[in-house]
Amino acid sequence: MSALGEALASFRDRVNKDARLRDMNRDWSRLIRVEPSDGTEAFRVSYQEGVMEVDRTLEGSFDIVLRAPEEVLARVFSGEASPTEPYLDGSLTIQGSQEDVLRLDFLSLMIWGE
Amino acid sequence: MKEVVSVSLGSRRRDHTARATLLGEEISLERRGTDGDLEAAHALIRELDGKVDAIGLGGLDVYLVAGGRRYVVEDGRRLTEEAKVTPVVDGSSIKNTLERDAVLRLAAMGVIGESTHVLMVSGVDRFGMAEAFARVGCQTIYGDLMFTAGIPYAVKSLDELAELARKILPEMSRLPLSMLYPQGKAQEVEPVPDPKFAPYYEEADLIAGDWHLIRKHLPTWLGGKTVLTNTTTKDDVTLLRERGVRTLITTTPVIEGRSFGTNVMEGAIVALSGKRPEELGEEGFRSYLERLEAGPTVEILEDPA
Repeated sequence: MSALGEALASFRDRVNKDARLRDMNRDWSRLIRVEPSDGTEAFRVSYQEGVMEVDRTLEGSFDIVLRAPEEVLARVFSGEASPTEPYLDGSLTIQGSQEDVLRLDFLSLMIWGE
Repeated sequence: MKEVVSVSLGSRRRDHTARATLLGEEISLERRGTDGDLEAAHALIRELDGKVDAIGLGGLDVYLVAGGRRYVVEDGRRLTEEAKVTPVVDGSSIKNTLERDAVLRLAAMGVIGESTHVLMVSGVDRFGMAEAFARVGCQTIYGDLMFTAGIPYAVKSLDELAELARKILPEMSRLPLSMLYPQGKAQEVEPVPDPKFAPYYEEADLIAGDWHLIRKHLPTWLGGKTVLTNTTTKDDVTLLRERGVRTLITTTPVIEGRSFGTNVMEGAIVALSGKRPEELGEEGFRSYLERLEAGPTVEILEDPA
């Protein structure tokens, strides 16, 4: 499995184990495309009522698209780097509503924050 | 005459100038909005630096506080650094003194107590008030996640608020503040009631905190409830009256129908004292607040029926 695949699997496991996080995000159902900008394989992250799944089903439309070099995406989802820095310097682009961007950032910080 | 100008990221439509005589000194208190334009706010502070006695920052915070830790909001910090001569204040000292004391005073008056259900729309930006509600023993819900990130989760203790703040604020405080707080034109749109948050308004006896966050999802009916906030204009008071709010309590003095922001109040004290905020310290601010006889203003709003 690629570094990004491993990072996403680890992130998914942590999110799904956290009962409070599931409760916080019970209203939020989104399909997210995680797309390395350097040509490596993309992933679909499905977040439905607090439960996250990761697979390679890339047909159809997505609510949010994350795009960055694979190494950046892997570092963000593995908690080695925060999403804020690459988001602010433009190396991570996020297509989606501002509220969704904020929610994703929140999810990540709740898992990897202090 | 002393001059205080509050540079706000809020709507220009809320601009206002008032003159008051405080401790025998005439003072001009002006609010200038920039419609959410951060660059315009930077330029305005540069223009005012050295020409006025104090500059306030409105529509954003420089510091957020939870669990004894202070988190610096990058957008706010950068604005404070624009002024090289004139002191720049964000209202933190007033939130730590006047607003904290306002809650304790309301408790002493019997207006609130252990049985009071409070919805505090955001605790980290009004830490004095948040801590005071906990001290009084009010049944308090902190709506920080709800009202800033749209997450329907009620934080029920200061400890949990501090724990969440440790996780998210070091990073979120670096994001553009417009992502977290209604600025500019967003302050002019009609409130949008949200069924996700309606039960929390419904269960509360008292709704407290930042006015724009309270207003953002203001339900169509708030019969008999009390709102504790500031920066309300005459139009805002009309809105609350129409929605059935029984009592409006403002923490800052009302001058010409407008309760000014904590940053304006802090700027006024800095201007009157001729000292920088760090020189005044908590004791200095308390001393001025006592001399000004500053305290909450309670307004009973008439029932529209």
